[in-house]
Amino acid sequence: MNEPRLIRGNEACALAAIAAGCRFYGGYPITPSSEIAEHMARELPEVGGVFVQMEDEISSLGAVIGAAFAGAKAMTATSGPGFSLMQEHIGYAVMAEAPCVIVDVMRGGPSTGRPTSPSQGDVMQARWGTHGDHPAIVFAPASVAEIFELTVKAFVVAERTRMPVIVLYDEVLGHTAETVALPEEVTVADRRKPEVEPEAFLPMLPANDGVPPLPAFGDGYRFHVTGLVHDERGFPSDDPAVAGALLRRLHAKVENHRSEIVDVATSHLDDADVVIFAYGIVARAAEEAVAMARRQGGRVGLVRPRTLWPFPDAEIAEAVRGARLVVVCEMNLGQMLLEVERVVAGSVPIAAVLRGDGEPIDPDEILAALDRDMEGALP
Amino acid sequence: MSARGVVLAGVGGQGVVLASAVLAEAALRSDFEVKQSEVHGMAQRGGAVVSHIRYGETVASPVVPLASADVLAAFEWAEALRWMPYLAPRGALVVDARRIVPPGACKDHRTWGVPYPAMDTATVAHRVADVLLIDASGIAASLGNPKTANSVVMGAVSRFLDIDDVAWEKAITRFVPPGTEELNIAAFHAGQEAGSVRPEAIPDLGLDPIQQRSYRIEVDHSWCKDCGICPTVCPEFCLAMDHAHRLVVVDEAACIGCRLCEALCPDFAIRISVGDPAVVSGGAP
Amino acid sequence: MTTTAQVREHLRGWAMPHVLCPGCAHGIVGRAFLSAVDDVGIDPDQMAVVAGIGCSSRLVGYLDFCTLHATHGRAPSFAAGIKLARPELTVAVFSGDGDGLAIGGNHLIHAARRNIDLTVVLFNNEIYGMTGGQAAPTTSVGAIASTAPRGSVESPFDACKLMIGAGATFVARAAASEPYTLARIFADALDHEGLSFVEVLSDCPTYFGRYNKLGSGPEMLAAITRSDNRIAIPLAGKRSIPTIDPPDLPPGVELGTLHREHRPVFTGRAGGAT
Ligand code: SF4
Ligand code: SF4
Ligand code: SF4
Repeated sequence: MNEPRLIRGNEACALAAIAAGCRFYGGYPITPSSEIAEHMARELPEVGGVFVQMEDEISSLGAVIGAAFAGAKAMTATSGPGFSLMQEHIGYAVMAEAPCVIVDVMRGGPSTGRPTSPSQGDVMQARWGTHGDHPAIVFAPASVAEIFELTVKAFVVAERTRMPVIVLYDEVLGHTAETVALPEEVTVADRRKPEVEPEAFLPMLPANDGVPPLPAFGDGYRFHVTGLVHDERGFPSDDPAVAGALLRRLHAKVENHRSEIVDVATSHLDDADVVIFAYGIVARAAEEAVAMARRQGGRVGLVRPRTLWPFPDAEIAEAVRGARLVVVCEMNLGQMLLEVERVVAGSVPIAAVLRGDGEPIDPDEILAALDRDMEGALP
Repeated sequence: MSARGVVLAGVGGQGVVLASAVLAEAALRSDFEVKQSEVHGMAQRGGAVVSHIRYGETVASPVVPLASADVLAAFEWAEALRWMPYLAPRGALVVDARRIVPPGACKDHRTWGVPYPAMDTATVAHRVADVLLIDASGIAASLGNPKTANSVVMGAVSRFLDIDDVAWEKAITRFVPPGTEELNIAAFHAGQEAGSVRPEAIPDLGLDPIQQRSYRIEVDHSWCKDCGICPTVCPEFCLAMDHAHRLVVVDEAACIGCRLCEALCPDFAIRISVGDPAVVSGGAP
Repeated sequence: MTTTAQVREHLRGWAMPHVLCPGCAHGIVGRAFLSAVDDVGIDPDQMAVVAGIGCSSRLVGYLDFCTLHATHGRAPSFAAGIKLARPELTVAVFSGDGDGLAIGGNHLIHAARRNIDLTVVLFNNEIYGMTGGQAAPTTSVGAIASTAPRGSVESPFDACKLMIGAGATFVARAAASEPYTLARIFADALDHEGLSFVEVLSDCPTYFGRYNKLGSGPEMLAAITRSDNRIAIPLAGKRSIPTIDPPDLPPGVELGTLHREHRPVFTGRAGGAT
């Protein structure tokens, strides 16, 4: 480990990307994510990478996908309105299977909303924002150290699955400075390259895990990439059988890598009557609330998904087993709440602490909800 | 002194432009006013190139009027005949005895069979004071570089002009490719000495034997969409659309291999290839 | 110009015939482009062609290079990413007039402003072909389109002027009816360091031709050659154009290489421009 030092969330994100091997950044300035771009503009050229400030967020992700096919590990970062513009190319990256990383530092919305206030309003957009049936991989760090860790992980998963991987945190975390000891080395991954000769190469023929090997443009494999439904040759096809199989494979490959992707942190669950469900910055308040409740003798625990999508169904079901109340806390009007309700399926009552005003949730609010919704939660 | 006019004529690639630059420079160095103009035909494709040079104490127009050139220097016999009308009565004619068939002169672009004009100085002698049919290419080759034939011709031209050798040599040095200055000056002097030859004495300088070329037209009907573009552009009417609006090759033998159909087929469907030469005959009559 | 046999070496033969309509001149343009790639001597393994969405963009799938069929209008951004990440590649963009000038106009002008070393080919067919003949930002005034049933009243873009203004360092215009010129211009554009832009007049017979009674492929090719590159003239002859009188027809567009300059090329790397 390096010496601990004070690092801001957005800086940790940029440092992690470079450590993970990111050598291409295409972005467009937007509050509260701009520090990532500024850091990359400064540092990437120093390590032989490329920084380009594009004309908008659509082209930013376009350039990132182009760079990905040219062999680079590539990323972009943005916030709400920019994330909306990127949806078109998130879909393209899923369909064309371009490994890349997208960071969304959430701010208050809808629309221009409150640029300088935090929010968790984009969690469903991160899942369903782009049109069509598609899988999604989304990580939600809850601290500066986790921003570093999960950004590295985002690159690893992107390379392994040939997916656009989204890192979602909020304005407060992006601008929070925390003392972090960065690791000296990180585990990185590189996309699988084809083992066959160019003549025998079928660009969209998947390996056993459902992920096709990916050579870079210029490696001697000449192939076609398209956002249209395509067959194993990568060529457009109108065959319903091809379309159906492709869509199922895109989902299956994420499923196949589930154990590497899904990541849920828990605390104090063993004897918990009350399980708080929280993610991102809200989980920090939830941890505090758990500690306060425990001091008062309340049996309260926390489940904290670090992977939002694919949703950790089994892990959440396991975490709430035996509880008498689940409290979902999020900085929106109830988005992941719907997922928790789906998984809990009526087996445990669910309370919700929701805020849509752009102000962080504080521990007292959570405790007040426990008290309100469960007799004797806080003895 | 009234202005003197020289017409230099040849086909593309022979060095007409270079020779006229040398002459213009030599005249300039002799303190004359010089005007020069060039007409390129399809020079890159072996088409005609002609250059007019006029010099004197004062010169108004760069163009040599008809029947007023003091010297007509042609790098090729057919070109000499073509530009004869520019030569003044009693002017001098210098011709390289090389024979090149410019495509524009072809009667039949499929066989390239051309009735090449007989190389006979007698046919023009009554109009010309001096006729010098020289084997410039042969002389140049014997000096070591056939490309200096144009300097040989200019040497012969210099006999009829009032420009001194020093000016010529400086002009040659300025314009010929570096490293070939001496060779070109030697070629120039050889041209000053060269005597007229009889055409029969000139060895064949490598003119292709005339061939009857044939072409194959292949249409990939699985790619062709019968759009009708190629029949519209084919200059020889080799292709046509039938009643059902399908493309048919109607006259393969007429194909001249221009490949216009290839270039304008949007579907990469038509291919022209060179067939076996059908007839091989000797040179032109 | 290379022969069909040679040009076919650069095609994915197994995917042919291509999807474009009979007589659509886009294929002629594609062929001239392949010929230029050959003339310039580009290694096919090091050639990438990126396209947007539309008829012309579908062509890239048939080219045996590294090809990327991107999203509508965004091809220049994908191409920028490829070129910046892997500068040794030669990168070209195939775009249509709707693709490049409407939905993708912003990307196009910014690629020019940055002077990224790309060759952008804009196939101008004066209409949206793939979606069924709607009016485009290039449709001539008076021309009929499915969304301009009374004749287009909007002024079309002059794509070359736009790109010169935006900072493209090589700008040329050619007609699909002149494949030899086209191939030469493409070769120059591919050779040029910096953003090269080539607009190709390649009117759509299926919709533009049919709606405006201009005939099919062969007639439209002939019309463009005979009319000073003004499709407006055959247009005016075919139907009464209420908005303009024949004497006021816009002048024929200029063909050839219209602009050439040298400016530092954007690389996005340390040391900046090359
Ligand atoms: S090459 Fe094609 S266009 Fe030319 S003559 Fe032959 S068939 Fe006709
Ligand atoms: S131009 Fe091509 S597609 Fe059209 S008729 Fe001729 S061969 Fe067929
Ligand atoms: S619709 Fe028009 S532009 Fe599109 S392929 Fe057909 S003819 Fe060409």
